[in-house]
Amino acid sequence: MPHAAPEVGGAGTNFMAIRRVYLDNSATTPVDPRVAAAMSRAVVETFGNASSVHGFGQQARAAVDRARREVAGLIGARQNEIVFTSGGTEANNLAIRGLCEAVASHGRHIITSAIEHPSVAGVCNELEKRGWEVTRLPVYENGIVRLEDLNKALRPDTVLITIMLANNEIGTIQPIREVGALVHEKRAAGQRHLWLHTDAVQAAGRLSLNIDDLGCDLLTMSAHKLYAPKGIGALYVRRGVRLHGQNVGGHQERERRAGTENVPGIVAFGEAAKLAREELQQRSAHDQSLRDKFEAKVRSRIKDVVMNGDREQRLGHLSNISFRFIEGEGLLINLDLEGVAVSTGSACSSGTLEPSPVIRALGVTDELARGSIRFSFGKDNTEDDVDYVVEVLSQAVERLRALSPLTLVT
Amino acid sequence: VPYSAQFKDHLSHPRNAGELPDATAIADEKNPVCGDRLRLSLIINDDRIETARYLAYGCPPTLVCGSVLTELITGRTTAEAKQLTRADLLNAIGGLPSRKHHAASLAIETLTSALGHKNAQKEHK
Repeated sequence: MPHAAPEVGGAGTNFMAIRRVYLDNSATTPVDPRVAAAMSRAVVETFGNASSVHGFGQQARAAVDRARREVAGLIGARQNEIVFTSGGTEANNLAIRGLCEAVASHGRHIITSAIEHPSVAGVCNELEKRGWEVTRLPVYENGIVRLEDLNKALRPDTVLITIMLANNEIGTIQPIREVGALVHEKRAAGQRHLWLHTDAVQAAGRLSLNIDDLGCDLLTMSAHKLYAPKGIGALYVRRGVRLHGQNVGGHQERERRAGTENVPGIVAFGEAAKLAREELQQRSAHDQSLRDKFEAKVRSRIKDVVMNGDREQRLGHLSNISFRFIEGEGLLINLDLEGVAVSTGSACSSGTLEPSPVIRALGVTDELARGSIRFSFGKDNTEDDVDYVVEVLSQAVERLRALSPLTLVT
Repeated sequence: VPYSAQFKDHLSHPRNAGELPDATAIADEKNPVCGDRLRLSLIINDDRIETARYLAYGCPPTLVCGSVLTELITGRTTAEAKQLTRADLLNAIGGLPSRKHHAASLAIETLTSALGHKNAQKEHK
């Protein structure tokens, strides 16, 4: 599939001349041409306002409804339980702040994990400043929360548990089904005002998900992680769960999210959800096979690497590796100059370094946290990509290690 | 990241990387905030920098500043090298975003430290 050649490596890099491999599918995915086609048709043909009573409006409403069914179908939900948003961040804001504000009279305690995406962690921090109490469950070296910690943290005034389904940096899958079962147990025992939210942005379209099986009340998805464009996401809201709307001034999305529907975005999400459901098995098998080959080759070619996160309970398309003695950003730019796109959780700016909080939460040293790189595969990657990346990667690691004073025996 | 062509060239092809076993001056400086580290070893003969080698750990600008610094000082007298400023270094690598200027500062500090320790024994900070 031809992609246009944006400026990735900075000014003057001629990307037409070098091979390009996109291994950052956890950041965003390329838009599937089938999704793009459905979206462009909607842009041109379905321009009506979905709230309008006339035929143009009804046509848009019908397109939105069809898409809503597809998105609901991806997680085994009913269509009226899906609220479209501008993306995962807005869905997380609506879920957490919307629920906490709606049920504040029942309690003001939230339980979350130490490795949430900033859009969850940030809302929790903000609520904490406004008087809510937040317990952040630790993860251990495998990057997974423990149920016994959750059990200990639960209080009579706990109203919300928000734990991600799969982590965005290391891919570890959290025991949401078990958490859901625990929530149901607590409710049966009389704690009626306890709800479970999960941020499934990384998991939706990559794992087979069913909300009844998971037992959650709120679930966040983002379209651009499943080969649709940016700017559209969804929140699953179980029937009967009350949310305080965060965007007010219109009746759209059953009063949960005011604003004229983004019809082309919604149509794109619907098409992407349909394709993700139909192709889930084949995509997962493909991604995991490439990821496993990649990790095996890295282990055999490069010394002093640490693979981060649980080896089993993790997403199949993602590999997070720390390369000892070197810093992630240097490796990232070196790879970018060779046309390979990856990401690092560490960022150095204004002379302050913030090693990835997720990798730090695993209890590793600063050096390993600084040297971590995320490789995330997608449906358009090939075995040749793996070979090329391993080749380029081992050269870059060797080059950077030759420069590193940390390799000196002093 | 609007890195220049010179910057990318130094990053892909570092000059003068390594350590001099017979160095007459060595400095090893660290940015205490971000942890970036630069190690410079020099052979100074008759007050002139004959050979310079560097090792670096940190973000790309730190790696590049080390490489460019060694090029700029090789063959210069210590008095000339002492005149080198952060601006000279930034100029030689085609500029850096202001949030990355600390990398050039670390390079100048390491140079100053090495020149101050001429004929000193190896020391590890």
